[in-house]
Amino acid sequence: MRIAFGGNQAGFWWYMAAGTALLLAFAGIGLFRGAVPIDEGDVLAVLARYLLPGERAADPSVDTIVWSLRAPRVVVAAMVGGCLALAGAQMQGLFRNPLASPGIVGTSTGAAAGAVFALTFGLAGTFLLAAPLFAVAGALLSLLIVTRIATRDGYTPVTTLLLAGVALNALLAAFNSWLIARSWEQYEAARRIAYWMMGGVTDRGWVHVGMVLPGMVIGCAMAVWFARDLDLLLEGEEVAASLGVDIEKTKRAVLWSAAILTGSAVAVSGVVGFVGLVVPHLVRLLLGPVHRRLLPAAFLTGAWFVVGADLLARTLVAPKEVFLGVVTAFIGAPFFLFLLVRHESEVAVSR
Amino acid sequence: MMETRGSARRAPRLELVDGGIERRGRWLLRDVDLAIEPAMLTSVVGPNGAGKSTLLRLLSGTWRLTEGKALLGGFDLSALPRRQAARRVAYVPQTVRPTFEFTVREFVTLGRYPHESRLFGTRSADRGWIDRCLDDTDVLALAERRVTTLSGGELQRVLMARCLATEAEVLLLDEPTSNLDLAHGLDLLGLARRLVDEGRSVVLVLHDLNAAARFADRVAVLDGGALIAEGPPAEVLNPDLLRRVFRVEAVLLEGSAAPVFDFEPLG
Repeated sequence: MRIAFGGNQAGFWWYMAAGTALLLAFAGIGLFRGAVPIDEGDVLAVLARYLLPGERAADPSVDTIVWSLRAPRVVVAAMVGGCLALAGAQMQGLFRNPLASPGIVGTSTGAAAGAVFALTFGLAGTFLLAAPLFAVAGALLSLLIVTRIATRDGYTPVTTLLLAGVALNALLAAFNSWLIARSWEQYEAARRIAYWMMGGVTDRGWVHVGMVLPGMVIGCAMAVWFARDLDLLLEGEEVAASLGVDIEKTKRAVLWSAAILTGSAVAVSGVVGFVGLVVPHLVRLLLGPVHRRLLPAAFLTGAWFVVGADLLARTLVAPKEVFLGVVTAFIGAPFFLFLLVRHESEVAVSR
Repeated sequence: MMETRGSARRAPRLELVDGGIERRGRWLLRDVDLAIEPAMLTSVVGPNGAGKSTLLRLLSGTWRLTEGKALLGGFDLSALPRRQAARRVAYVPQTVRPTFEFTVREFVTLGRYPHESRLFGTRSADRGWIDRCLDDTDVLALAERRVTTLSGGELQRVLMARCLATEAEVLLLDEPTSNLDLAHGLDLLGLARRLVDEGRSVVLVLHDLNAAARFADRVAVLDGGALIAEGPPAEVLNPDLLRRVFRVEAVLLEGSAAPVFDFEPLG
C-alpha cells in the first residue's frame, strides 16, 4: 500500500512543507502555552531578546519560564522524535522489515541499562551528565556485542543480527529489572528510574539539547550518506551487491548511525516508545520507500509528532503531567494496529 | 515487439579460469574453465542443482571463488571495486516478487547506482537514459505503477530495464523466462538476441533446451558442479549427452534450421 502523494519529488516537498508548518505550530503552542499563563507579547519579547540582535530587557521570571523551561523542552522533544524516527526508518530498511524499531538490535535497552546503572549507583546525583553518557555508552556497547556475536569471517547476516538483538534485549531488560529491584528501598532513586523508564522531556534544559546535538548531527550525516545504499538493500543483498553496493560497509554504517541516534535520544528522554516504529512506517506509506525522501521526511514527522505528543502530555491532566512515552504509545499503538488490520499482508510480509 | 536503440561498446571477454567454489564443505562448482566471448549469447543448461546459478554468481563477482580466477577483459574481477564491476557486468538473479513499493521508474533507477554520485544522486542525463531503458523493454507506460502490482511478465521486463540501466556490457540472467508465457518468453529471448547483435554479451540460464538451441550462439552444459561441455548448440546438444546429463531420451526432429528435440523419459 502506498497512498496519496505518489512517488514524485513535488509530493515530497509538499509533505515537507506541511510537516514544517505543523512543527512550527506545535512548537509555538509549546512556547506560548503552559502551566503558568504568560501574555503572548511577553513571550515574543523573550524570544526577540535571544533570537534577534540588540539589547532588550525582560521580566526575569518570564524569561526563565519561556527561555529556560519551555524552549529547550520543545527543542529536545523535536530532536528526540527526529532521531528515533530516522533510526527506525534505517532499521526497517536494513532488515527489510516494516516491524523493525530503532532498538531492535538492543541499542535502546542498552541505553536504558546504562542510564539505570548510573541512576542506581548514585552517579547521576554527583554528575549531571552521568546518566546520558552512560546511556550512549550502553547503546554503543550493545551494538558492539551484537555485531561481534553475529559476524563470521567479516560477514554479518541480518537474521543472525536480529536474533542476537532479541536475545540481548531480553538479557538487558532482565538486568534493568534487577537494578530497579535493588534500588527499591531508596525511594528517590527508584522514583527517578521509574520516571526515566517511562520517557519524557519534562525539565529538560539547553544542556540536554547540547547532549543530543552531536550524536544527532553525526547520525544524520551518516544516514544521509548511506541513504541510497539502503534503497538497494531493500531488493536483497545479492541484487545490491551485483549493482555495486558494498554490503558489509553499508550494514555497519547504518547500524552505527542508528545506534548513535537512538542512544542520544534515549539518553535525554528515556524510553519514548512507538515513534521509531510507527512514524517511518507511515511515511513510507505516504511517500514510498526511496530513502533520499523517506529519511528526511521521517525525521521531520518524528519531530512534530513528539512535540505534539508532549503538548498532550503536559495538558491532558494539567497541572499534572502524563508521561510522554505513555502518550506516544497510546497514539502509536492503536494507529499501528489500524495499519495492521487495514494492510495486513504488507505489514506482515518480510523477506 | 521490444526494440533497443542502445549503442553498446563491444563487451569485454569474461572468463572463469579453473574456477571452483566450496561452501560448507561441499564443492558447488569445480574445475570450471569457461570463456564468455564478446558479443555472444551463451546459454547455461543443466539439471536442477547442477550449479547454474552458482556459475552466474561467480561470473558476476558477487560470490568469491575458493580456487581459480574470474577475469574480466583479462583483469581479476575480485580486485575490481564493486561499483566498477557493476558498470560492466550486470546480474539478474531468479525473479523474486518485490515487497517494497517502488514505482517502476524508481525501481529501474536502482540500476543507475554504480553511476550515481553520492552527493547529487541521479542526474538529468541518467533520467533520459532511464526513459530509454523503459522504452527498450516496452514498459514506459508502466513507469508510475508500483512494482508490487505488476504481472510476472511485466516484472521480468522491468528487471531487464533495470539491467540495461546499468549500461553493463555483459548481462547475466538467471532463468529470465521462467515466469513468462510463450509470447513474452520469446520476446525476451528476442531482446537478448538484439542486445548481443549490438555488441553486448548475454548469458542466460535456460531450462528450455529447444530455446537454448535456437537463440544461443554457445551452450554450456553443467552437471553435478562440473562443466560437461561447451560449444555451439548443434555440436553440444546431441541425444547422447542429453541422455547422460538430463536422463531423457531425445529425438532430433528434422526440417528446422536449429536442432529441435522431442523428449521422453528414459524407459
